[in-house]
Amino acid sequence: MTTPADAKGLLSGNGLKWALVALIDTALLYIIAGMYAQGEILFALTLLVLTGLGTWIFTSQKAYSYRYVYPCLLGIILFIIFPLLYTFNIAFTNYGSANILTLERVKEIHLEQQVRDSEVAFGLALYQNDDNYQLVLTDKSNKQAIYTTSSFVPAEQATEVSATAGNAAAGKKLSMRDVIKQRSALGMVTVTMDDGSRLVMTSLREFGVMTPLYREGDDHTLINNQTGEIIRPDMTTGFYVNEAGEQLPPGFSVYVGMENFERLIEDDGIRQPFIKIFIWTLVFAGLTVAFTAAIGLLLATLVQWEPLRERGVYRVLLILPYAVPAFISILIFKGLFNQNFGEINMILEGLFGIRPEWFTDPFLAKAMILIVNTWLGYPYMMIICMGLLKAIPDDLYEASAIDGASPIHNLLYITLPNLVKPLTPILIASFAFNFNNFVLINLLTDGGPMMSGTSTLAGNTDILVSFTFRTAFIAGQDFGLASAIATLIFLIVGFISWVNLRATRNLQEH
Amino acid sequence: MAEVKLTKLNKSYDGGKTFVLKNIDLLIKDGEFTAFVGPSGCGKSTLLRMICGLEEISSGDLELEGTRVNDMPPNERRVGMVFQSYALYPHMTVRENMAFGLKLAKMSKDEINQRVEEAARSLQLTHLLDRKPKAMSGGQRQRVAIGRSIVQEPRLFLFDEPLSNLDVALRVQMRQELARLHNRLQTTSIYVTHDQVEAMTLADRIVVLSPLAEGAETNLEQVGAPLELYHNPCNLFVASFIGSPKMNFFSASLLETGEEQSRVKLDCGTELTVFNNTSSAKVGDKVTLGIRPQDVLNHEEECGAGNCITGTIETIERLGNESFIYLKHPDIQEAFIVRVEDSRRREPESAFRVGVPAENCHLFNEAGQAYPRTRSPRFD
Amino acid sequence: MAMVQPRNLKYRVWAARLCMILLLCLVMFPFLMIVSVSFRSGNFATGSLIPENPSLEHWALVLGIPWEAADGTIMQPTFPVLTWLWNSIKVSLITSALILALSTTGAYAFARLRFRFKDHLLTMMMILQMFPAVLALVAFHAFFNKLGNFIPWLGLNTHAALIVSYLGGITMNIWLIKGYFQSIDNALEESAAIDGATPWQAFRYILLPLSVPILAVVFILAFITTIGEYPIASVLLQGADQLTLAVGAKQFLYAQNYLWGDFAAAAVLTGLPITIIFLVAQRYLVSGLTAGGVKG
Ligand SMILES: Nc1ncnc2c1ncn2[C@@H]1O[C@H](COP(=O)(O)OP(=O)(O)OP(=O)(O)O)[C@@H](O)[C@H]1O
Ligand SMILES: [Mg+2]
Repeated sequence: MTTPADAKGLLSGNGLKWALVALIDTALLYIIAGMYAQGEILFALTLLVLTGLGTWIFTSQKAYSYRYVYPCLLGIILFIIFPLLYTFNIAFTNYGSANILTLERVKEIHLEQQVRDSEVAFGLALYQNDDNYQLVLTDKSNKQAIYTTSSFVPAEQATEVSATAGNAAAGKKLSMRDVIKQRSALGMVTVTMDDGSRLVMTSLREFGVMTPLYREGDDHTLINNQTGEIIRPDMTTGFYVNEAGEQLPPGFSVYVGMENFERLIEDDGIRQPFIKIFIWTLVFAGLTVAFTAAIGLLLATLVQWEPLRERGVYRVLLILPYAVPAFISILIFKGLFNQNFGEINMILEGLFGIRPEWFTDPFLAKAMILIVNTWLGYPYMMIICMGLLKAIPDDLYEASAIDGASPIHNLLYITLPNLVKPLTPILIASFAFNFNNFVLINLLTDGGPMMSGTSTLAGNTDILVSFTFRTAFIAGQDFGLASAIATLIFLIVGFISWVNLRATRNLQEH
Repeated sequence: MAEVKLTKLNKSYDGGKTFVLKNIDLLIKDGEFTAFVGPSGCGKSTLLRMICGLEEISSGDLELEGTRVNDMPPNERRVGMVFQSYALYPHMTVRENMAFGLKLAKMSKDEINQRVEEAARSLQLTHLLDRKPKAMSGGQRQRVAIGRSIVQEPRLFLFDEPLSNLDVALRVQMRQELARLHNRLQTTSIYVTHDQVEAMTLADRIVVLSPLAEGAETNLEQVGAPLELYHNPCNLFVASFIGSPKMNFFSASLLETGEEQSRVKLDCGTELTVFNNTSSAKVGDKVTLGIRPQDVLNHEEECGAGNCITGTIETIERLGNESFIYLKHPDIQEAFIVRVEDSRRREPESAFRVGVPAENCHLFNEAGQAYPRTRSPRFD
Repeated sequence: MAMVQPRNLKYRVWAARLCMILLLCLVMFPFLMIVSVSFRSGNFATGSLIPENPSLEHWALVLGIPWEAADGTIMQPTFPVLTWLWNSIKVSLITSALILALSTTGAYAFARLRFRFKDHLLTMMMILQMFPAVLALVAFHAFFNKLGNFIPWLGLNTHAALIVSYLGGITMNIWLIKGYFQSIDNALEESAAIDGATPWQAFRYILLPLSVPILAVVFILAFITTIGEYPIASVLLQGADQLTLAVGAKQFLYAQNYLWGDFAAAAVLTGLPITIIFLVAQRYLVSGLTAGGVKG
């Protein structure tokens, strides 16, 4: 049964599919090999698994359904789950600007270091014959030993020549001044001697032997070729240390256990701003939700109030702040609130003679943030409340009107009780969103004004995510600490979403 | 030769834990019109969908024109199906709806047009060809759905309760159109329905399915021509399912067994003679006696041998041309229904003695299997 | 409700109207101001809403045309705004198309096909969409930094990296499209299968055409979200010519180089089309937006 069908498939288009799969796989395998060669085992392995899985899914008839899901799952795995896990991973390392490389790479860098062997030195003379040049080298310790190199054309790129004993140079010898002109080209020349030793230019008048500073020892240690000193990688600090205990940069990233988290708790210079920022984050998200929900509900009732004939116009205009991309509105406010050149302070000065320091006074900065965020956020709440209000049956209000109830009574005993249940998950989601409202803070105040006396840079209006961002990308590039904070935020967000899931489920049950 | 053959067909869910269909053996001959009937949830639709490939076959063989097609995807089976909801493509006009399958088959434009127009003509759809389904009545949509399968010239037509969304008058009209269509095309057809009348009038043969009982071998109860099922139901299930109103059942025991005729005693004490072959049974066996409301005689005089039952009239349903009298009787929980042509002399709460002709009785053993009838039924 | 009207209704309507108008003034103030600023000469406030001597200098500069000031000095455009705008549009269009393709096929599988772990995957997606990408910026940076070593066109400071990193944002869209697919009678595709369509043909010729409305909504939503995305873009993009508008716009308002007027023109130029798209499609978007949580 299966055989004839397969054979038929191979002829009609299936062959093309196989070719395509083979092509993609080849390309991916090439990349995987590259990653493996550079020591990125984790990357190579991940990609290998994903490639294998993909190949199976797109070739096996059994996995037909997964063909539709695999691409989107791949997106989710690579760009949600993987970054998440990667962040957790970094939280336990000292990955940062000082420790950005891998151990292998740092070892390579040390091994590439060259020092000059001071005992061997050759005086140099340069001969020119049209475009071709030759070097004549005289051993300084033994004047008899003279060597001539093969001819070469000076260029700004690495040039290899070999040297043989005796002075056999053609052309004329160049003066010191002309030698200096060729200095940079000569710097690129490597001379291989009869005995296999390699010479490079060590000063204007000399060629000498460069030897690697280190050679490899056991177990990632390196041995200094000149002193015999052994330097070894310190797997707790992420540096090679010499016998005197000094750290030799560059550093590599190592697992440091809970150290980043401990710093959050134990280092006063970090803990105090962290706690302040955490409290402000809660206050900011909580107040934003309260303000936007209150205003949104009020406006929703107003724009649905039938006696207000022109309510359609209001509705569109009120949604406007939601329609404009947030980054534009936030920057507009940044300009309007500008202490010196901003329109708002100009109006306030004209009316009341005051110029509030929106960006330098911590309290005013926070107030400004709340004003702007309320302006940005109320339309969403309004849209939601409009929908929810429509869902409350009219006859409830009609019945209460027959009882002679006042609008306040209606609000307290009909509208609010009917709104609370469906609105709760939305309020929680809004809280979670504002908890991480990086764009607002980063674009409006960038966390400022800055706190003083902290060991990491922290701002008075920073919320946790913007603090994380600064720690990671602006001040010191401490990726490890930033990831530790991000991990904490993950836990908090996870908790909030768990609460939200339960609230939603509650809603569905009733 | 579009013959459909089902051999030991099974359908189960949850990896073989819950069975819906079990051991279905069926041979549908070329050109035959077969109806599947059975109570709701017994698996009629499931069986139909297994035949067209929309539902996986758990085990057993399905053969179409002599080849096993268990694993053939539906698009290769060349069958036509009319769904209960019609399933017309809302974004296409009637013409596009009918042409869809032909286009997929890469047929030439001319041929597509010719086929569509011919089908439209025969279903009186020509003036609707450029409308979208939304702008049509239920009956028109129904015809488009039928037209869509006709143009494909399938080997097999499948209908899943195609008329159940129509009103009564339209249903009768469409029923006749379907009958005419089948006469003309002579394509093998399978028709799932709730409606006995549809099944009895349209089908050459009827397949009765029952909800699968715990431990039952199969839920295929009986296959046969409509009148065969009506007159000779092979078990209690079929007897009670076919015919309206339902057959009356009395619990009884055998007094005399015999090849030609037997004698039974109802639990209330009445003794009756019946023409059933009970040679396989013993005297004293528990049996169930069945008689259709239409087969009861209201002239006690005419039934010989004192084959009479007396009950008290509870209610009378007067339908004009006929009446149904509901009698109270100790051996029947619900009611003993009797059809009479003239009910003018009858009043509720009065006693009514009816005749139960021996040749009209059905007799079933304790397991519900019928004892064969030995005489053809007698009518007034 | 119309039948229940108190006596003093007229006064109440006027009071409400007054409140509304005051509020609208507050809401509209920034927009009116920014339009006004964009036509004002110079970069500093002058105190009137309507510019006294309107000038097109900011518009010219934003459109990349050098401007000759009244005193004869020539001002050169400071930032390649049009390049940024083009970058933004390019990235957003490609991203939205990819997101649409991925989430449509995914949603099809979740709505119609049977496979293992389906319910688990759906729940997982529901939970994952709660975690904003902002939290994983370090990981994104490190990831593309390393990836660039093997695939240079996918490294830091490339648009490809940005586009690819946005592809995680498909979970909500999958839910949206899946819900819509499920509202379409499954019998339509079964009927197509009987008509001879392969699963792919049934998807392509029946389900997709019927889902155009939701696909349009998802596309526009993805477009709006992407064009306003700031955090990831600000981490991945560095070169001045590579920036998207969301990242670049910030540079107008650095204290050392405060170009308020130029910013205003750029804001109007780029904000207006997006706002109009949003308002036109608003009716259709709202359901999607309210299902998708808060706009970023
Ligand atoms: N996925 C499933 N898992 C378990 N049982 C199922 C599943 N799908 C259907 N069933 C069961 O299969 C049985 C047969 O369903 P089917 O639709 O074939 O009934 P039917 O005879 O067509 O009924 P109706 O006359 O109401 O249309 C039903 O009892 C139903 O509960
Ligand atoms: Mg059914």
